[in-house]
Amino acid sequence: MDIGVPETEHEIEIAPLEEPLPQPTPVEEPAEEPVPA
Amino acid sequence: MNDVSTEPLVGWRLWHVRPHGDEHRLESFTWHHVSWPPRQRFEASCALHRSAAPVGDHECGIYAFRTRELAEELLRRYTGIRQHYGREYRELPPVREGRPIALGSVSLWGRILARERGFRAQYAYPYELFLIGGDDRIARELRDRYAVDVSRI
Repeated sequence: MDIGVPETEHEIEIAPLEEPLPQPTPVEEPAEEPVPA
Repeated sequence: MNDVSTEPLVGWRLWHVRPHGDEHRLESFTWHHVSWPPRQRFEASCALHRSAAPVGDHECGIYAFRTRELAEELLRRYTGIRQHYGREYRELPPVREGRPIALGSVSLWGRILARERGFRAQYAYPYELFLIGGDDRIARELRDRYAVDVSRI
Protein backbone atom coordinates (compact mmCIF):
# COMPACT_ATOMS: atom_id res chain seq x y z
CA MET A 1 0.00 0.00 0.00
CA ASP A 2 1.43 3.31 -1.06
CA ILE A 3 0.79 5.54 1.94
CA GLY A 4 3.37 8.11 0.90
CA VAL A 5 7.04 8.77 1.20
CA PRO A 6 8.89 8.03 4.47
CA GLU A 7 10.27 11.58 4.60
CA THR A 8 6.80 12.90 5.47
CA GLU A 9 6.37 10.49 8.37
CA HIS A 10 5.64 11.73 11.88
CA GLU A 11 4.64 9.86 15.00
CA ILE A 12 1.27 10.12 16.76
CA GLU A 13 0.40 8.39 20.01
CA ILE A 14 -3.24 7.40 20.44
CA ALA A 15 -4.18 6.20 23.91
CA PRO A 16 -7.98 5.72 23.83
CA LEU A 17 -9.84 5.72 27.15
CA GLU A 18 -11.53 2.57 25.88
CA GLU A 19 -10.28 0.44 23.00
CA PRO A 20 -12.59 0.68 19.95
CA LEU A 21 -13.62 -2.97 20.04
CA PRO A 22 -17.18 -4.34 19.94
CA GLN A 23 -18.67 -4.91 23.36
CA PRO A 24 -19.47 -8.49 24.32
CA THR A 25 -23.12 -9.36 23.82
CA PRO A 26 -24.90 -9.17 27.19
CA VAL A 27 -26.07 -12.50 28.48
CA GLU A 28 -29.83 -12.52 28.81
CA GLU A 29 -31.21 -13.78 32.09
CA PRO A 30 -33.66 -16.62 31.45
CA ALA A 31 -37.19 -15.59 32.26
CA GLU A 32 -38.58 -17.39 35.29
CA GLU A 33 -41.11 -20.01 34.37
CA PRO A 34 -44.44 -19.69 36.12
CA VAL A 35 -44.75 -22.38 38.77
CA PRO A 36 -48.22 -23.91 38.95
CA ALA A 37 -49.84 -23.45 42.33
CA MET B 1 7.04 16.15 17.23
CA ASN B 2 4.98 13.60 19.15
CA ASP B 3 1.21 14.19 19.38
CA VAL B 4 -0.87 12.35 21.97
CA SER B 5 -4.62 11.86 21.55
CA THR B 6 -7.37 9.77 23.14
CA GLU B 7 -9.49 9.57 19.96
CA PRO B 8 -8.69 6.65 17.63
CA LEU B 9 -7.80 7.58 14.07
CA VAL B 10 -10.02 6.25 11.30
CA GLY B 11 -8.38 5.06 8.11
CA TRP B 12 -9.51 3.10 5.06
CA ARG B 13 -8.18 -0.17 3.70
CA LEU B 14 -8.92 -3.41 1.85
CA TRP B 15 -9.07 -6.98 3.07
CA HIS B 16 -9.37 -10.29 1.32
CA VAL B 17 -12.35 -12.31 2.56
CA ARG B 18 -11.33 -15.94 2.65
CA PRO B 19 -12.85 -19.12 4.02
CA HIS B 20 -11.26 -20.74 7.07
CA GLY B 21 -12.95 -24.07 7.52
CA ASP B 22 -16.64 -23.27 7.44
CA GLU B 23 -16.29 -19.54 8.19
CA HIS B 24 -15.11 -16.47 6.31
CA ARG B 25 -12.53 -14.16 7.81
CA LEU B 26 -10.84 -10.90 6.97
CA GLU B 27 -7.29 -11.41 5.76
CA SER B 28 -4.49 -8.97 5.18
CA PHE B 29 -4.51 -7.61 1.65
CA THR B 30 -0.76 -7.90 1.23
CA TRP B 31 0.24 -10.78 3.53
CA HIS B 32 -1.18 -14.16 2.67
CA HIS B 33 -2.96 -16.13 5.38
CA VAL B 34 -2.70 -13.39 7.99
CA SER B 35 -6.24 -13.17 9.31
CA TRP B 36 -7.67 -10.44 11.51
CA PRO B 37 -8.99 -11.85 14.78
CA PRO B 38 -12.68 -11.27 15.49
CA ARG B 39 -13.62 -9.14 18.53
CA GLN B 40 -10.04 -8.42 19.51
CA ARG B 41 -7.51 -5.92 18.30
CA PHE B 42 -5.16 -6.80 15.47
CA GLU B 43 -1.61 -6.10 16.60
CA ALA B 44 1.28 -5.15 14.36
CA SER B 45 4.24 -7.48 14.42
CA CYS B 46 7.50 -7.58 12.55
CA ALA B 47 10.08 -10.31 12.04
CA LEU B 48 12.77 -7.78 12.91
CA HIS B 49 11.14 -5.55 15.52
CA ARG B 50 8.55 -7.98 16.91
CA SER B 51 5.91 -6.14 18.97
CA ALA B 52 7.78 -2.82 18.66
CA ALA B 53 6.22 -2.40 15.17
CA PRO B 54 5.68 0.05 13.59
CA VAL B 55 9.23 1.37 13.58
CA GLY B 56 10.60 4.36 11.67
CA ASP B 57 13.00 3.62 8.80
CA HIS B 58 11.16 0.34 8.22
CA GLU B 59 7.93 -0.69 6.53
CA CYS B 60 6.29 -2.66 9.35
CA GLY B 61 2.90 -1.91 10.93
CA ILE B 62 -0.77 -2.11 10.02
CA TYR B 63 -1.42 -0.04 6.93
CA ALA B 64 -4.41 2.17 6.19
CA PHE B 65 -5.09 5.06 3.84
CA ARG B 66 -6.37 8.46 4.91
CA THR B 67 -9.38 8.33 2.57
CA ARG B 68 -11.80 5.88 1.03
CA GLU B 69 -10.83 7.18 -2.43
CA LEU B 70 -7.23 6.02 -1.93
CA ALA B 71 -8.40 2.53 -0.91
CA GLU B 72 -10.67 2.39 -3.98
CA GLU B 73 -7.73 3.45 -6.16
CA LEU B 74 -5.72 0.49 -4.81
CA LEU B 75 -8.63 -1.82 -5.65
CA ARG B 76 -8.70 -0.53 -9.24
CA ARG B 77 -4.95 -1.10 -9.51
CA TYR B 78 -5.32 -4.61 -8.03
CA THR B 79 -8.02 -5.62 -10.49
CA GLY B 80 -6.21 -3.92 -13.35
CA ILE B 81 -9.31 -1.92 -14.30
CA ARG B 82 -8.26 1.71 -14.47
CA GLN B 83 -9.58 2.76 -17.88
CA HIS B 84 -12.96 2.19 -19.53
CA TYR B 85 -13.45 3.22 -23.17
CA GLY B 86 -10.51 5.59 -22.86
CA ARG B 87 -11.74 7.41 -19.77
CA GLU B 88 -10.52 6.93 -16.22
CA TYR B 89 -12.55 4.23 -14.45
CA ARG B 90 -14.05 5.80 -11.32
CA GLU B 91 -16.52 3.07 -10.33
CA LEU B 92 -15.64 0.16 -8.09
CA PRO B 93 -14.37 -2.64 -10.30
CA PRO B 94 -15.80 -6.16 -10.25
CA VAL B 95 -13.63 -8.70 -8.42
CA ARG B 96 -12.89 -12.30 -9.38
CA GLU B 97 -15.71 -14.80 -8.89
CA GLY B 98 -15.42 -16.44 -5.47
CA ARG B 99 -12.73 -13.99 -4.29
CA PRO B 100 -14.63 -11.37 -2.31
CA ILE B 101 -12.91 -8.27 -1.02
CA ALA B 102 -13.89 -5.99 1.83
CA LEU B 103 -13.38 -2.25 1.59
CA GLY B 104 -13.80 -0.54 4.91
CA SER B 105 -12.94 1.97 7.55
CA VAL B 106 -10.70 0.89 10.37
CA SER B 107 -9.95 2.27 13.83
CA LEU B 108 -6.25 2.78 14.49
CA TRP B 109 -4.58 3.39 17.81
CA GLY B 110 -1.40 2.89 19.82
CA ARG B 111 1.74 4.21 18.15
CA ILE B 112 1.02 5.49 14.66
CA LEU B 113 3.39 6.71 11.98
CA ALA B 114 1.51 9.10 9.69
CA ARG B 115 2.45 9.96 6.12
CA GLU B 116 0.67 12.17 3.60
CA ARG B 117 -1.51 9.37 2.17
CA GLY B 118 -1.93 7.07 5.15
CA PHE B 119 -0.73 5.44 8.32
CA ARG B 120 1.25 2.57 9.81
CA ALA B 121 -0.36 1.65 13.12
CA GLN B 122 0.31 -0.54 16.14
CA TYR B 123 -3.31 -1.65 16.77
CA ALA B 124 -6.40 -1.79 14.58
CA TYR B 125 -9.96 -3.06 14.38
CA PRO B 126 -12.46 -2.80 11.49
CA TYR B 127 -15.08 -0.07 11.97
CA GLU B 128 -17.41 -0.64 9.00
CA LEU B 129 -17.16 -2.98 6.02
CA PHE B 130 -18.41 -2.89 2.42
CA LEU B 131 -18.36 -6.32 0.82
CA ILE B 132 -17.50 -6.51 -2.88
CA GLY B 133 -18.17 -9.75 -4.71
CA GLY B 134 -19.66 -11.63 -1.79
CA ASP B 135 -23.22 -12.75 -1.09
CA ASP B 136 -25.62 -12.08 1.79
CA ARG B 137 -24.45 -15.15 3.68
CA ILE B 138 -20.83 -13.97 3.74
CA ALA B 139 -21.93 -10.45 4.74
CA ARG B 140 -23.97 -11.90 7.61
CA GLU B 141 -21.06 -14.11 8.70
CA LEU B 142 -18.68 -11.14 8.81
CA ARG B 143 -21.26 -9.03 10.65
CA ASP B 144 -21.76 -11.70 13.31
CA ARG B 145 -18.09 -12.59 13.63
CA TYR B 146 -16.57 -9.09 13.79
CA ALA B 147 -19.66 -7.35 15.26
CA VAL B 148 -19.44 -4.41 12.83
CA ASP B 149 -21.81 -3.09 10.15
CA VAL B 150 -21.37 -4.89 6.81
CA SER B 151 -23.09 -3.80 3.57
CA ARG B 152 -22.83 -5.28 0.11
CA ILE B 153 -21.87 -2.95 -2.71
